[in-house]
Amino acid sequence: MKNKTSYAIAAGIAVIMIAFPAFLGAYPLNVARSVMTYMALAISWDMLLRSGQISFGIAGLFGLGSYASALAVLRGGMDPFLSIVFAAVFAGVMAYALGFVVLRLRSMYFSITTLALMEIFRIIIHNLHDFSGGPEGVVLPGVIFKGSASALYWLCLGGLFITIGASYYFEKSKMHLALTAIRNDETSARSNGVDIFKYLLIAFVVTSTLQGMMGAIQVQSYGFTMPDTAFDGNFTLLPLAMALLGGVHSTIGPMAGAVLLGVSAEWLKLQIPYGHLVVYGIIIIIVILFMPQGIVGMVRKASRTGRRSGRKAGASNE
Amino acid sequence: MILDIQKLETGYGRLQVLRGIDLSVGKESVGLFGPNGAGKTTLINAIMGIVKPWGGSILFEGEPIGGKPTHEVARMGIALVPQERELFPGMSVADNLELGAAYVPRGKGIMAQQLETVLELFPILKERYKQFVGTMSGGQQRMVAIGRALMANPALLILDEPSLGLQPSIVAEVFDRLSILKKDIAILVTEQNVRESLKAIDRGYVIENGSVLLEDTAEGLAKNPHVVSAYLGI
Repeated sequence: MKNKTSYAIAAGIAVIMIAFPAFLGAYPLNVARSVMTYMALAISWDMLLRSGQISFGIAGLFGLGSYASALAVLRGGMDPFLSIVFAAVFAGVMAYALGFVVLRLRSMYFSITTLALMEIFRIIIHNLHDFSGGPEGVVLPGVIFKGSASALYWLCLGGLFITIGASYYFEKSKMHLALTAIRNDETSARSNGVDIFKYLLIAFVVTSTLQGMMGAIQVQSYGFTMPDTAFDGNFTLLPLAMALLGGVHSTIGPMAGAVLLGVSAEWLKLQIPYGHLVVYGIIIIIVILFMPQGIVGMVRKASRTGRRSGRKAGASNE
Repeated sequence: MILDIQKLETGYGRLQVLRGIDLSVGKESVGLFGPNGAGKTTLINAIMGIVKPWGGSILFEGEPIGGKPTHEVARMGIALVPQERELFPGMSVADNLELGAAYVPRGKGIMAQQLETVLELFPILKERYKQFVGTMSGGQQRMVAIGRALMANPALLILDEPSLGLQPSIVAEVFDRLSILKKDIAILVTEQNVRESLKAIDRGYVIENGSVLLEDTAEGLAKNPHVVSAYLGI
């Protein structure tokens, strides 16, 4: 019963989101696209975090996807839409190959290595002047779907839906047990028959594919990119902040965090053109100080306490 | 023979811990005794593939398992209840139990049936089914750990110090459940609490300094002067 209601609510929100272009102008749609991109990155980061691995390489795979898509169109003459699929697969294959090395590392060694990988990708693109366009970047012949604001919005929304679907699958399937077990205790997970490397590799490849896909969607929507844009550190830091703010180890947490931070960032930019980042920083500090479990964690705790006191009031038999 | 260990040697780094252990477990319950540092936990780690053997052989149901990755050993039918309970505190009792069976072929198919058996053996887990394990008492957590191991439908159940840190009444309960279990599966159990565990086992080994000092039936061990003075403290 409870499940049915939440499915109905989710479906309702999805329909409203699909219908957005009917009643929103170009500017809000553009903001929505930016929020959705960060949301998808935040969710994908969280999916790997569920196994206990903290990746700082989001921007690396995002940029890799951007360039794979842009160069497939420019140098290979690929169809722009097809190039997004190609870029996602490319990021996944790269993650699969790199996974054999980086997934042998744990905790901060894993994190630092993913950060270094991002930098390596950026420097390679920076220096492959003839092929990648070097520091000046690349300009595509045109924007996908002839730049129609609604079509671009739906493309980004599609990417987000795929990410949410993958995350939901991770939450509901056997992946959830394996990843949680690995996060809690690797030796114990192993003694229960969990092939740790296999599940870490699946999580790493899937999340990298999603990040590459979002990068490709981004580059096809703007029609140009350069190393400093595609590998912008913000693509690592903002999704991380959003997931922490919303509440980690869930799909809904990073989504809530992305809406709150994404929308407030845009609103602050309009209200305080000089200094919005200071206020933005203060919001993050306050939330982390007072809601260490994130927004979702706080709501859950509140509802649990509410239920408990409700039970006591009802003269329980415990 | 379910488990057959011959001349097993292993250690950590340059430190040798096991110096040629011979040990076997049939369809019975076997105890493993010895002082701290004798190598009991190392022996278990070697069986589970957590540490690699340096020499000797480990056969499980006739197949060599020495040096196999831990998850493969687990899938073949050896379930471990580790010393530190090593449960998944952020998971509910239900999830912990499901995890025990989810990745082991021989447990997966009969999950519902195993769950019924486990909940019958430990009724408290039925009451606490949705509770997070991290919020439960030490004794209840131990029961979850044993329950999780049983979910895998193992041929051999290994328990490393199941009574550690538990109050005496719970220890008696845990051993009471173990004596029910030993009718169906082979058990290898290490214990400091020799007096309680002698009631639950058929046979036992005393290990000191990485080799087997004594091997006897439970009755024999209870009468052995060395065991009496060193472990039963009479």
